[in-house]
This record gives sequence, C-alpha cells and structure tokens, in this order.
Amino acid sequence: MDPAEELPSMLWGLDPIFSAFARLHVTDILHMRESCQVPDIYFYKSHPIHKVDVLGTVVYKREREDFFCYGDDGTGVINCLCWKNDPMKEELDSDGGKPSDDLQHSFNLAVEVKKLKQAQQTHFRLEIGELLRVRGQVKTSRQQREMMASTYYKVNDPVMAVQIEWMSDVLQLYREFYDKPLHLQNISASESPITSLSKATQIIKDFLEQKAVSKFRPYDIQDILQPLFPSCPEVAPAGQEPVAGSSTCQQLHVLLKEALQLLQDEGVVYRKVKSQDEVYFVTAQDKDLLMAVKDIIREDSKREKYQEKGCHILHILSSVRQRHSMNVSKAVLELVLKSLECNSDIISTRDNYFTYFII
Amino acid sequence: MLPAVAVYYFPWEVNSGALQDGESVRTFGSKTNFAHFSRLTQYEPEKSRASLTTQHASKEHHVVINTSFVEPFNPIIGAQYIVLGEIETAQGVDGVRVCARVLNCVDGVNIALLQKVINEQRSFFRERRPDLWSLLQRSRACL
Repeated sequence: MDPAEELPSMLWGLDPIFSAFARLHVTDILHMRESCQVPDIYFYKSHPIHKVDVLGTVVYKREREDFFCYGDDGTGVINCLCWKNDPMKEELDSDGGKPSDDLQHSFNLAVEVKKLKQAQQTHFRLEIGELLRVRGQVKTSRQQREMMASTYYKVNDPVMAVQIEWMSDVLQLYREFYDKPLHLQNISASESPITSLSKATQIIKDFLEQKAVSKFRPYDIQDILQPLFPSCPEVAPAGQEPVAGSSTCQQLHVLLKEALQLLQDEGVVYRKVKSQDEVYFVTAQDKDLLMAVKDIIREDSKREKYQEKGCHILHILSSVRQRHSMNVSKAVLELVLKSLECNSDIISTRDNYFTYFII
Repeated sequence: MLPAVAVYYFPWEVNSGALQDGESVRTFGSKTNFAHFSRLTQYEPEKSRASLTTQHASKEHHVVINTSFVEPFNPIIGAQYIVLGEIETAQGVDGVRVCARVLNCVDGVNIALLQKVINEQRSFFRERRPDLWSLLQRSRACL
C-alpha cells in the first residue's frame, strides 16, 4: 500500500481492530508494513495495528532477567519478550515444599501462599515444546520484529483442540474483518440531505423561540441557515433572484423550503392566508389563534351537546377553520390545545376531547 | 538467530521428497496400535530413533525421527504424537529423517479435524496471499 494512501493517524481510533489485540498469523505480523506517520504502528492491509494476540509453540528459550522466547504458530516464528513478574524472581524455599503431617488438616496460610506461588511459577515457567498464548505490542528492534508481551501464559492443550480451534477462528477473522477494507463514514463537507434538514429545522425552531417571532417571511430567516453553507456568498435582498450558477445558494433555498415544509407538517408554523406573499405564523406566538380556540371551546362547552363529554378535536378544528383560517392544520391545533391545557384553561375529558375549565 | 518456521506437513508429504533438507517441519503420526492405525513401530533409545506411522489412502507412511534433542521422554507406544523438527538426510538410510526439537504426545487429537483445518489454512494462503504462500513453501525465513 502506498504511504500516501495510509489512513491519517487522527482516524485510527475509528477502526475497531486498532483497539483490539489482533489475532494475526505470525507471518503477517512479521511482514506488516510500518507506518510512516507514527513509529511502532503497523498496517495490515488498510488496518492500523499495534497490539496482537498469538498462540504458538515455544521453539527457543533464552532466560535472563526478562525471559525471551520464540513462538511458532505454523506460519512464522516471532520473538516474544515475556517479562517476569516479581514473584517469579523470588527463589522458592526448599523447605516449604511439603506441609508437615501435623498441619495437614489445618489451614496454614503460609503454606497455602507458598503453594500459590508454586502454582504461579509453574504456570509461567515455559519449556520448549509448550503451547504459549501471548498478547502484546509489536515492536521492531535491531531490524527484527518482536512482541513485547503484556500478558502471557502456558496453555494446556493435550489433544490440540485449542490450536485447531485457534487456527480456524483466525481464518474466519481474516475473512470477515482483517481482509476487508476499512469503511469510514464520509466526514467531508458533502453531508447527507437528511442530517442537514434536521439541523436546519432545529436552527429555525431555536431562532423563532429565542426571538419570539410571531410571523415571518422566508427571506427573513434565510440568513440563519448560512452557517450550514460556508461557501455561499451573501444573498441579495428580498425579491431578487440568487446569482445564477451559485449552486450552494440554490441548495440553501431548497433546504429552507424543505425545512419550512417540515415545520408546517409538525404544526410549528402555518400560513394563515395562502397567497403570493409567503407569510408564516408561528403557532406558539399566535395570540389570535389562541384566543379563537379558547373562545370556541368556552362557548361550545356551555351547550348541552358538549357539556358532558366535551368537544372533539375535529369539531374544534372545523370551527377554527371557519372563524380564523382555512389553513389551520390538525398539528397546529394540537399544539395550541396543548399549550392551553398547560395553562389550565381547558382540560381534556377523554382522548381528543376537551372542555373549558371552570374554576 | 531465530529458528525457521515449522510449517504443517502431512506425513505422506514428508517422505515424498517434496521437502528439502534443512527445512523445518511439523508433522504427526501414531506410534502403533492406535485404534485406526495398526503398525508396530519402534523406539530405539540407544540410537535415539523413533518411528511414527500413519495410514493414508490405504498406504502406510512412516516417518523416522531423531530424538536426541528431546530425550529423555516417556514413549507411549500406540499414542499420537506431534513432532516439530528439521529434515535431515541421514547417511546410509533411505528417505528422510526428522530431527525433532519438539515431540509432544497429543493422544486423542481429532486427526480429521486437524487435517481439515490445515487444508483450509493452505487454501486460504494460496488464494489470498500467494506471495506469502510461496514464502511458506520455501520456508527458509531467516529473521
């Protein structure tokens, strides 16, 4: 892979394999290309790797302070630096081997601790031919690739079941993860229309609430969507067509239109009169509409027909349409009724039924 | 210097001359009288020689092992063993010998499964990593 094609280091954390101990074949670990951005990070195909997990047979051992050993998994041999724990460095007392007869039936803490240490030692003492599981970071030292073990232990595998399972698991991992290229979501400037629409509607909603706007025309609020389109130049004042050929401005207009439509569907805004002049009324701030609905409910609640059950929302809707505006939608009315209910002007007797609240 | 990698080979491949002298190899076989194989073979401690036998395609295959590096070891005649070692051409003996560095008893191993996994691994390398496959074939990784 070209160094130029390498994933930038900022995005490495997005690859789940980067955070995991990758179970690669040793031969792949040895032949992985080192990253040119950061030392000690390697690339297997398009995936950044820095920690690996290996199961192999010890074929060579060199014991010193630190304890090296070489592990072979059938595809390659790698040097594993297994650091000894402090307990391992202590020498065992030859006396503490067997408990005395007297103490056989009682729990002697010192003896048990010695036994535990012995068990730990046997667990970590590796001999040639034993199966070893190592997890650690990959490093290159003296032109040789090696593993700095963070965890290692002897694996008891009398019938090779663990090795067989490991081999088939690793093949599966390769097919499903390691050999598949990394797919990152495109975080570039071209955002999907859906997210920008929801952003636009949110911006408009916030603006209308903050400024307590009761009515507006589209071009009044056009400017607040500018941040979504950084490359769009200043839009000409009302009435003039946008500059031909500037597609971001057109996108902005389209987005604005869609956002307003969405807000109408939600009931946040409505057009009282459908004419050439696009005037939008904000439901939350429309006092006239509020009063009209309140009056309707108050008057109708006095009538015998609605006294018990209350007025159904559709009845209220048809009355509002007659009195106030033909273009009031159910969504708008629902918002108004909700705010009236919150103010304790009306109460809901049943689902979709409302009546005037008389204190 | 690291020892070379021990690639899995089946016993019948060891003797067929497909391998060259000095290559590291790991192979398996039963000593004798195992449930599915039946062939009396020997362990000669004075000569440090052991013989592994397995049956494949109605033919018996022997692999002779030089056990000088793994002694003393407790031989269980009839058990399955896995050996990791280097091929050497012994003087005055037909065929090859494996000089064992590791000789582990794996009695109870599922041979069919092991064979299947080895074949899968081989086909994986052949398909996806032809460069590494040829590297493994030569198996002289000197690191």
